[in-house]
Amino acid sequence: MSYFIARRLAGFLLTLWAVSVVVFAVMNVLPGDPALTILGIDSTEEARAALRARLGLDQPVVLRYLDWVAGALRGDFGTSFSFGVPVSGLIGERLPLTFSLALSGMVVTVILALVLGITAAARHGRPGDWGIMLLSQMGIAIPAFWLSMLLVLLFAVRLRWLPPGGFPGWGDPIAALRSLVLPTAALALVQSAVLARVTRSAALEVMRLDFVRTARASGFGSRHVLWRHVLPNALVPIVTIVGLQFAGLVTGTIVIENVFYLPGLGRLLFQSIANRDLITVQALVMLFATLVVTANFLVDIAYVIIDPRLRGARG
Amino acid sequence: MIEVEGLSITSAAGPILRDVRLHVAAGERLGVVGESGSGKTLLAMSLMGMVPDGLHVTGSIRIDGAEMGGADEAAWRRLRARRVAMIFQEPMSALNPLRRVGDTVAEPLIRHLGLSPRAARDKALALFEETGILGPERRLSQYPHQLSGGQRQRVLIALALACDPELLIADEPTTALDANVALRITRLLVRLARERRMGLLFISHDLAAVSRTTERLMVMYGGDVVETGATAEVLRAPAHPYTVGLLAARPSLAAHGKRRLPTIPGSVPPPQELPRGCRFSGRCGQEIARCADERPQPVATAPGSWAACHLLRARAKGAGA
Amino acid sequence: MRERRLSPNLIIGAVLVALVCGVALLSVVWTPHPYAVIDVGGKFAPASAEHWLGTDQLGRDLVSQLMVAAGNSMMVALLAVGVGCVLGTAFGLLAAARGGWTEEAIMRVSDLGFAFPALLFAIMLAAAYGPSLSVVVVAIAFINIPIFARVSRAAANQVWHREYVYAARAAGMGRFAISRDHILPNIAAPVIVQATIEFAVSILTEAALSYLGLGAQPPAPSWGRMLSEAQTLMYLAPQLAIWPGLCIFTAVLGFGLLGDGLRDMTDPRLIRERRA
Repeated sequence: MSYFIARRLAGFLLTLWAVSVVVFAVMNVLPGDPALTILGIDSTEEARAALRARLGLDQPVVLRYLDWVAGALRGDFGTSFSFGVPVSGLIGERLPLTFSLALSGMVVTVILALVLGITAAARHGRPGDWGIMLLSQMGIAIPAFWLSMLLVLLFAVRLRWLPPGGFPGWGDPIAALRSLVLPTAALALVQSAVLARVTRSAALEVMRLDFVRTARASGFGSRHVLWRHVLPNALVPIVTIVGLQFAGLVTGTIVIENVFYLPGLGRLLFQSIANRDLITVQALVMLFATLVVTANFLVDIAYVIIDPRLRGARG
Repeated sequence: MIEVEGLSITSAAGPILRDVRLHVAAGERLGVVGESGSGKTLLAMSLMGMVPDGLHVTGSIRIDGAEMGGADEAAWRRLRARRVAMIFQEPMSALNPLRRVGDTVAEPLIRHLGLSPRAARDKALALFEETGILGPERRLSQYPHQLSGGQRQRVLIALALACDPELLIADEPTTALDANVALRITRLLVRLARERRMGLLFISHDLAAVSRTTERLMVMYGGDVVETGATAEVLRAPAHPYTVGLLAARPSLAAHGKRRLPTIPGSVPPPQELPRGCRFSGRCGQEIARCADERPQPVATAPGSWAACHLLRARAKGAGA
Repeated sequence: MRERRLSPNLIIGAVLVALVCGVALLSVVWTPHPYAVIDVGGKFAPASAEHWLGTDQLGRDLVSQLMVAAGNSMMVALLAVGVGCVLGTAFGLLAAARGGWTEEAIMRVSDLGFAFPALLFAIMLAAAYGPSLSVVVVAIAFINIPIFARVSRAAANQVWHREYVYAARAAGMGRFAISRDHILPNIAAPVIVQATIEFAVSILTEAALSYLGLGAQPPAPSWGRMLSEAQTLMYLAPQLAIWPGLCIFTAVLGFGLLGDGLRDMTDPRLIRERRA
């Protein structure tokens, strides 16, 4: 077991390192002169030289990379060019909102998907199954930002139940939560569509196995058999997809924050792009990629927790 | 305490179980023998109320006097594990791989009998001891993949015994095991049936296993019961050509199972291709004109024994004339 | 037992795809109106015989814009998935043919691709190079390479163990020739299925990026950008927020259903393999 985890941990760290190289290379090496990108083509050569010196761009690339990584490991991502404050501070301010949105999106997604998927599997081949699968097929094809707009049209513009966007701050928790309802719904409805299908097919596969018959023969009701025997055994593929979907959740959060004007990390990313604030963009892209890689690593670890057969194995 | 009368099961393709009757009293051990496709597993599932969707069941199944023919899922569920329990062919896959086997056995104790987790664990331990599981204390917290096939089958037996059922159905419990282990499992089943005064319905294609486990025997072919009687008697003097064929296929030097039955040519045809009359016609080799279209009636062969074959009637008439 | 009849998924998907592609092709030679002609006097016109779906905030004909946008969207998807598919499949074939450390290296590098969702990668490129449709194409193509490398390698590794491949090797055929003549034709099915599905994903990604202002730049019409413009006018002209979204939905649904249908037809067990 520890060998399995150690191997995954090594792979995880290696991937993180490779990701940092890619991000740094794209943002620093390939585009030519970052000072030109930041200041624009009408800037003077003196101004660009001054900025290069300030950003340490006159240093060799490798040194700059090492500087960046060393800083990042200490939680120092440099100073934002457009805001004039440390990037870590910007991130810290906006993280709670993004985290809340991603977490509530994830929780609602998983609950919705498990209920729909298991229900569909239990009604395999009957109208309930068809209906749920049709809904999920549609959910997969709907762009999250368009669904958001439709939700806003209905619940904010027409019914006026919920705010169309913006965030009042955590000072008023009720208002804050209300402004997260539509973003969470948009995120979860789209995400759960795929997960519900995976849950259904995984459950159907498990339902064919012999121990399900043993459980029925033990006199347990179909609901108990489905949720306590079938579902845990279907979790490996489900968790795999939850891990893969984390990438979708991250990008979904970036998009949704921009649809609803929520001042989170995704919004910060776009403001930084608009301001040509490459330092902040670089830090945020690295942060999001790290989240995705970490999620995949945690999924690998979760297998071991779910399935005792993997514990003895070498992995 | 289980009585089955006129049990038939029909699929869209035609009848796959015809007019089965059987009874098992407390402490009695009945064997059901036949090749795969003979309907013996379906018979077992019907006694658990677990016939697959899409099949039509008719006839009477009385369990402890309660008529279960046409009963709904809820009624069957109250019966399973408590009155009728079942163990299956594949001990490898019949246990939930994610659960400690002790928890698997404790689950019905907690849910059906309302035992506390602690009491359920003690009872599970007692059941492990009763079913001869080695190192029972340690086994409780192990997972199925850590157990051998024989030990897993014992766990399944312990699970089946958890709620003190009156009838245990064992569907090919020894097929997936090697001969020595199979021998011990059948001995265990006989002992349990005796000690608990529990009925045993032992289903197998392995005549050796059936002969050492059961008192009475039912031979099935193509969804029909073709011969029944005291096990020793049927094996000594088989009356139905199919039983004769089965016996001839048996390895002559006693008791090891897991052999196919090579001397009857062919295999059981799929339900829609079975002949309407005697199901065995076409493979029998001794057919007379009416075999294919007319279903043979049971003919008594000894006290409590009968076989369903046109030849027997013809022979009986011939002897009488 | 399994009948090889066409599933409803496949038929509905094919019809929707044909519809979207037909409209996209048609837009090259004909639209009801020139899509970029501004008529401020006739802005927010309702649907009429003249303007089938009305006009937008600048009086431009909505149908014409949607049609040209369909063309742009298909073009982006075709280029991005095409490049990703060709390069990815080449890497996958190479990995399967060479095995050993070549295979290991290709697979490790493609694992890296999964750390970057296409959208994030595109955002990064757009930040560095400035937003444009070409950045979108490059980003989606890049992210598709590891996906196709994986699918084609898994399929190719199976084909390498077939008897006719052993026979070809025994006959002295080289790895390259075997890959071209025997492996490639036999992994076409899963690769095509994947390409169809990635086509759908690509349409979604392009729409999202254009919505965010990182894709198609004005005046090039794009479903995503039309939606972002419509969002600011939601109280004024909610109908503008409906049609472009419906177009994205139709196109993505079409390719998704077609991909599912093709997969069910060619290999019902594919999902299981990809999981393993």
